[in-house]
Amino acid sequence: MSEQHIASAFDRELESIQAHIMKMGGLVEEAIGASAKALETRDEELALKVRADDKAIDALEEVIDEEAARLIALRAPTAIDLRLVLSVLKVAGNLERIGDYAKNIAKRNTVLITVPPVNDSAAALRRMAREVELMLKDALDSYIQRDAELAADVIERDREVDQMYNALFREFLTFMAEEPRSITSCMHLHFIAKNIERMGDHVTSIAEQVVYLVTGERPEESRPKADTTSLTA
Amino acid sequence: MNDMARVERRVGTKNAKITARDVQVHYGDTHAIKDVNVEIGDKTVTAFIGPSGCGKSTFLRCLNRMNDTIDACRVRGDILLDGEDIYDKRVDPVQLRAKVGMVFQKPNPFPKSIYDNVAYGPRIHGLARNKPELDEIVEKSLRRAAIWNEVKDRLDAPGTGLSGGQQQRLCIARAVATEPEVLLMDEPCSALDPIATAQVEELIDELRQRYSVVIVTHSMQQAARVSQKTAFFHLGNLVEFGETGQIFTNPQDPRTESYITGRIG
Repeated sequence: MSEQHIASAFDRELESIQAHIMKMGGLVEEAIGASAKALETRDEELALKVRADDKAIDALEEVIDEEAARLIALRAPTAIDLRLVLSVLKVAGNLERIGDYAKNIAKRNTVLITVPPVNDSAAALRRMAREVELMLKDALDSYIQRDAELAADVIERDREVDQMYNALFREFLTFMAEEPRSITSCMHLHFIAKNIERMGDHVTSIAEQVVYLVTGERPEESRPKADTTSLTA
Repeated sequence: MNDMARVERRVGTKNAKITARDVQVHYGDTHAIKDVNVEIGDKTVTAFIGPSGCGKSTFLRCLNRMNDTIDACRVRGDILLDGEDIYDKRVDPVQLRAKVGMVFQKPNPFPKSIYDNVAYGPRIHGLARNKPELDEIVEKSLRRAAIWNEVKDRLDAPGTGLSGGQQQRLCIARAVATEPEVLLMDEPCSALDPIATAQVEELIDELRQRYSVVIVTHSMQQAARVSQKTAFFHLGNLVEFGETGQIFTNPQDPRTESYITGRIG
């Protein structure tokens, strides 16, 4: 739907709200990368910056919510426009949650730099975060390009993130069993792994919104569920 | 969304009240309606939407042979009401219009009393045997049109003295007085303020319990609010016909999408 509205102000409002989503998405990508980097490099300053920057992400969500409410009230959007406004609301919510997980990783960093590292787990977590960051980048690209195929690809890639989480979960269990003094670190590291796994789920939800926006249909099969740790004894 | 779709599907499975097959309408050399095929459900509100001149009013007027009165107008194809061809030679258009009532854009009460406006149809069709029966029909019709309480003390006053919204509800009372099976409404709210519009829309929803209602409207929001099925007309073609919820969230034809989202199509 590249045609323009007869009411050009409507087009400008839709563009503005999408610009805010992209800005928010950029900040969230940064937060994921920075929180994982701070973890691996034991960089407290960078972690503090991630925590401070989360406020800007939250503020953007509020702006987007207000713009969406206004659009619904004043323009009564239908069809593709309605799906756009609905998806914007959900995507903003997903981005805000991802931002919170990044902030939480940064908080745990404060404790983790006071205890010895657990093998190379920080590097593994950073790789996992990198994967989620790339998924988010592609999800946002698919959103702006209205590319349902790329979005479907992102949904599929969440499986890999889940598998990385499963592997780390087992690794931390083993460490804790062998070395009780590593329990504090491992507990925090495990929560970080879980945070990243949840980020992947939110990215998947964004990609699902893209499929809905473009096709008008919800994705047939919902996201792959490869996180099996709930059943691990 | 799923619940909404389910409700609409249930409505959709009702039997067709009106079936149109390959309907063509010409005004002189103008081809106004091109090959329209549609089934209008019983006890359903069907909205016809589309830009001015798209043929929606013309098609509506075919459904009770209002176009017969226009000399240059030729209607081809079949329009069946309960399976009977309404253009059959044996069908009396006056009897047909008692079954298929119509309400117009501009309220057009007769220059008679409120009572006589409503009693007119039942009188000419001989629906009442005596005065008490006629009184009953008038009251029932005015109640059904949600205007009884406003006019019950002045039934002898002229219908033309009522406000616009009241006049339109009086016309609806007049239309339902003959117990029609189908009610056609051509822009029934375009001359009304938002309160009167809301009252008429509420009324349309109540009428749906008994009748099949077809409404032509330029207000997409009105179509979305009152109808279960929506038909989009463009340049004489029926472009898309479907559940109202689907048409307004996920139309299948790009022309429908352009029109309902307010884009230049």
